[in-house]
Amino acid sequence: MLSHATTRDWLIPYADGMLAADERRRIDGHITGCAACAAELREVRELNLLLVTLPPAPPLAVAPFWLKLQAQLPARRTLRIPTFAAYRRLGVAFAAAAVALVAVAGSAFAAPSALPDNPLYPVKQIEEQVRLALAPSNERLPVQLQLANERLREAQAMAANHKPRLAENSLRAFTLILDGAAVSLKNPANPQATKDALLALRANLDAVERVNANRNDDVAGIKQLVTAAGDELDRIEHQDSVTAPVVVVGEQATPEPTPKATPTPKPTPKPKPTDDGGDHRNQQH
Amino acid sequence: MARAEDAPSIEGDAEERRLIDRSAAGDQEAFRQLVIRHHRLVINVAFRALGELSLAEDVAQEVFLKVYKALPGYRHEKPFKHWLHRVAANAVTDALRRRRPVVSLDDMEQPPASRESDPVDVATRHDLQRAVRQAIASLPSHYRDTIALQAFGELSYDEIAKTLDIPLGTVMSRLNGAKRLLRERLGDLVRSEEANTA
Repeated sequence: MLSHATTRDWLIPYADGMLAADERRRIDGHITGCAACAAELREVRELNLLLVTLPPAPPLAVAPFWLKLQAQLPARRTLRIPTFAAYRRLGVAFAAAAVALVAVAGSAFAAPSALPDNPLYPVKQIEEQVRLALAPSNERLPVQLQLANERLREAQAMAANHKPRLAENSLRAFTLILDGAAVSLKNPANPQATKDALLALRANLDAVERVNANRNDDVAGIKQLVTAAGDELDRIEHQDSVTAPVVVVGEQATPEPTPKATPTPKPTPKPKPTDDGGDHRNQQH
Repeated sequence: MARAEDAPSIEGDAEERRLIDRSAAGDQEAFRQLVIRHHRLVINVAFRALGELSLAEDVAQEVFLKVYKALPGYRHEKPFKHWLHRVAANAVTDALRRRRPVVSLDDMEQPPASRESDPVDVATRHDLQRAVRQAIASLPSHYRDTIALQAFGELSYDEIAKTLDIPLGTVMSRLNGAKRLLRERLGDLVRSEEANTA
C-alpha cells in the first residue's frame, strides 16, 4: 500500500488520467482509507474542472481577421516555384531568344558582305551607319573611304549580274559618300593613306566601267554615273591639300610625320590604259 | 481531456508542408490558407487565457505575425501545430502578465448563450474564470507555460512534452507544481466550488 506522501505526489496525474492501471489501483487503495487524500483529490478535480471549463471564443469571421493581419505582414521577396505552364512559357521564351540570337549573329556575320540584291542588305546599311556615327572624328574619313569602296564593289557586282538599277544606286551612293567626305579630304589626317585609298577607288571605278562595257547590253546610266564619279575623283586628286600637306597650328595639328619627311610629293599616278582607251578622263580633265 | 476542436489533424500533411514552404518564401496566399486552418485554435487559446474577444484577437494577430516572420527558419522536424501552440502560449502568457493588474469584470466578454440562465450564476462563473486566469498569470514562467498549454490549448501531457521539447516526466512534474500553487492561490474558490458541486 502506498504511503500518504507518495499518494499526494501522484494525485494530480491520477486526476488527469495519466497513470497506468496498476498505479491507479494502488492510489485507489490508499484513497479508500485516507479521508485527507480523498478530500485533496476532490480539490484537484475541481481545479481541473475550472481549467477545462474556460469557454472557447465565440465565432469570429476569418476574412476580416486575415485582412487586418495581411496589412501588417512585412514584404518578403517572393520566390515562386514555377509551375509546369510557367516552365513551358519560359522554354518558349528561351527558344525564341535563341532563334533571335542566332539570326542576329548570322546577320551580323553575313551582312557586311551582302550585296544590294541580298535580303540582309538593309542590315548592312544600318551597320554602316552605326559604324560611321560611332567613328571618332579623326577616323571618320577612312571609314567613309572604305564605304565608298564598298559601294563600287557592289556596283561592279550588280553590273556583272545585269542589275543596272542596283548598280546605279550603288554608284549614286558612292558619289554621295565622296561629297560627304569632301571637307575632310581637303585636310586629311593621313594624306598618304588617303591618297592610296583614292587610288584604290579609282581602280575599282574603272573596274565597274569595264564590267559594264564588256556586256553587250551595257547600260548608259551606269556609264554616265561612272563618268561623273570619275570627274569627282579627278577633282579630289588634284586638290593641293591632298598632295601637299598643310601645316596646322593648334589642337588640330597632326603629329603625323610622314608628309614632312617627304617634301617632294609623288607624281599622281594615272590609271592604266584599258583596251578601249579608258584613260580618257584624264585627257578630259 | 477535451481535444483542440477546430484545427484539422495536420501532422505529416504534405499540403500543409507545401503551404508552410510557400509562406516562408513570401507567398501570402499560402499563408492565408495556413491562417484559415489554424486561426480558430489560436483565437481559442487566446480567449481562454484572456476572456476578452477583442484582446484575444489582437493576441492572435500578434501570434500569426510572429509565425510569418519566423517561418523562414522553421524546420519540419516538429509538427507545425506544436510550434504554433508554443508561440501562442508564449503570447498569451505575456498578455496575461501585461494585463493582470487592470482586469475588471466590465472588460470581460459576455459569453454567448450560456447554459446558466441565472445572472448570479453567470457572474460567479466569470469571477471564477477571471481568478483562474489571474492565478495562472501569477505562476513562475516554467509552470505558467506548461499549464497554459493544458488549460488554454487543451493539449495532453504527451503533446505538451512535444511542444515544449521536454520529457514527459518533466511535464508531470511541472503540472504537479503548477496545480499545487493554483490550489493554494485559489484555495477558497476551489473549496467553495467543491461545496457548490457536492
